[in-house]
Amino acid sequence: MPPKISKKATAAAPVKTLVLDNGAYTLKAGLVAPSGTPSYDDCRVLPNCIARSVRDKCMYTSSELYQCKDFGELAFRRPVEKGFIVNWEAEKAIWEHELLSETAGEGLRCDPKDTNLLLMEKPNCPKELQKNCDEIVFEQFEFSAYYRCVGPTLNAYHPSIPSSLSSLPRECLLIIDTSYSDTTILPIYSGQLIQSAVRRLTVGGKLLTNYLKELASLRHYNMMEETYLLNEIKEAVSFVAPSTQQFSKDLERTWKGRLGDKRTVDSSIVLDYVLPDYEGAIHGYARPHDPLQSRVRRGIQPLQGPREDVLPLGNERFAVPELIFRPTDIGIQEKGLPDAIMDSLSVLPEALKLTMLSNIVVVGGNSLIVGFVERLESELRSLVPTEYLLNVSRADDPIKHSWLGAARFASQPDLMKQVLVQKAEYDERGSTWLAKRFSGGDK
Amino acid sequence: MPHVEVLPNSASVSAPGWTYVVDNGYDPSKVAINPKDRKRAAARPGGARGENELSARQQTAIARRIAELERDNDPKQSIPVPGKGSVPKTQNARRIIQYQRQIKHWLDDEIAQLQQAPPPLPRSAIRAANQQLRKASTLTGVPPMSSEVTPGPLSSGLATPALPLRAEPTSEIDSLLSIERSMPPPLKSAELASLLSAPPLSYVASHVAPPAVGGPPQRQFCDNCGYWGKIKCLKCGARICGLECKDAHEATRCLKWA
Ligand SMILES: [Zn+2]
Ligand SMILES: [Zn+2]
Repeated sequence: MPPKISKKATAAAPVKTLVLDNGAYTLKAGLVAPSGTPSYDDCRVLPNCIARSVRDKCMYTSSELYQCKDFGELAFRRPVEKGFIVNWEAEKAIWEHELLSETAGEGLRCDPKDTNLLLMEKPNCPKELQKNCDEIVFEQFEFSAYYRCVGPTLNAYHPSIPSSLSSLPRECLLIIDTSYSDTTILPIYSGQLIQSAVRRLTVGGKLLTNYLKELASLRHYNMMEETYLLNEIKEAVSFVAPSTQQFSKDLERTWKGRLGDKRTVDSSIVLDYVLPDYEGAIHGYARPHDPLQSRVRRGIQPLQGPREDVLPLGNERFAVPELIFRPTDIGIQEKGLPDAIMDSLSVLPEALKLTMLSNIVVVGGNSLIVGFVERLESELRSLVPTEYLLNVSRADDPIKHSWLGAARFASQPDLMKQVLVQKAEYDERGSTWLAKRFSGGDK
Repeated sequence: MPHVEVLPNSASVSAPGWTYVVDNGYDPSKVAINPKDRKRAAARPGGARGENELSARQQTAIARRIAELERDNDPKQSIPVPGKGSVPKTQNARRIIQYQRQIKHWLDDEIAQLQQAPPPLPRSAIRAANQQLRKASTLTGVPPMSSEVTPGPLSSGLATPALPLRAEPTSEIDSLLSIERSMPPPLKSAELASLLSAPPLSYVASHVAPPAVGGPPQRQFCDNCGYWGKIKCLKCGARICGLECKDAHEATRCLKWA
């Protein structure tokens, strides 16, 4: 029995909830007060990695990367693999650094003993990893109370009408989460995930970056150790072709031709990316292709002015993100995203399928690639019966959107009361019971 | 020595200045394809499109490359955790924190567990499962959920979690065929309840199926420059766009993944 005074103090300060979208690439984190009105601004995005420079051996834990001035040959250790927390040694170090100790960012630091944790996970997480996670949350961090669920599901708690104060979840919502680890399709009914219809495509932002790295290294410079830079380049220059027909046209426009049939590439589509030297410039930038530049590089033309390294980008700009729509382009034997969505919906009764199609929301970083949503919508349109309404929208901030849905859920004490498990309850009943409880098996 | 072959391709352009040499040394029908091997299945193009059939070696090469592209952490890099964090508070926490396993180990465990203990199924679901599998196998020739460590053609645990909902396995096909029908039948509450109570799929089972037969053929690109790959390297099976890229290919990537 705790002494009276501390009991009073707890009652005075309402327990906040740490809402944590624990992605492989970034953590999305923020503290949410009961009955508050959270916004995107309450969410901090933090690298979920420990990095080390191969050159100067400098180490960076999570947000320390924001101070990094030299991303050359930076190696990363990521505790999340394929979207699931696999390495708790590294994840613990990152949580402690960013959320629990004096190194935590403003407004994020909390004492788990008087904080609830709402932890958002990817769908289809292996049970053993869920169990490890639950045990660490209560036994190591000792959070006051805890709820773990499939993160994107909580997008149902965004008000369908912006001014609405209803705490009821959207009835039908089809979330396409195209993130770093992969791309998942999640049909959600009244805030509940329809598990049997969840589908996953191997292609996510990580694979796209690695693919671009491979192509650039093959065609121009060895950049295999420059993951950070290639990710930056991918974000700067990529676009999704509006259709397969346009894809073919763009492929012609970027082709150099062959012996006996030389062509000039179309400078309106080919870009030159000026690589940072990490002395004068930390970041690179793209500019229209200058055919002279590539001759300079080959030593045909004498070099004038300051030395710069330029990476020309032609078909890489659109052939890389194309993998989300045509994974078979590199031999991944999976349907592309539009067909995969139809596959997922085929599990549902027609009435539900119809409503899902008119409520598609795209979240996750890859949806920021120019042309992504337009291509998705136009390909889906050709697969969906003409009389069906199709509505595809991208979240205003696709990276923070699932977090905000979860934060809105967490700000409603009546909803949280139904799902939170107190530490005392865990201590008494154990992790097997907890896993069952979170999977809806034991209320 | 003939090292190039011309392949049928809708985007094919006649190329002056040099000649294609037709390859007769490769017969896809003689290539054994083992449907039990997920890596190979993963690298196998959908359908029986002769010119797209790959040798076992090529399939392994593609699978290896995809695994490389998919990797989260570089095993060559061992980056220590800086600073002193809190000490593990329980034996159990210490054990979990000390795990140095990768995701593939956990996923292999999950597959192994599902094989040992297939979840109990209502009889209707088994019937539905069988229909579903028959359908899948006539479509692709490969059970879509088979996994790399699965010895049998079908691992019960992988495909089943989805199936209890398929109480009416034909309704989906009906509705797909009759697209003229303007209003679908109203939602049945029992059907909805069974949908919502279905357990999660395993990780492997959540993967999207291979493309349907009859869809657009797999596109082939030049391994060097990314343009259409109309010529095939006979050493490794990669595609190239012309002789110039073929030289570059042989100097760099030929047989790299084999
Ligand atoms: Zn080429
Ligand atoms: Zn070759």
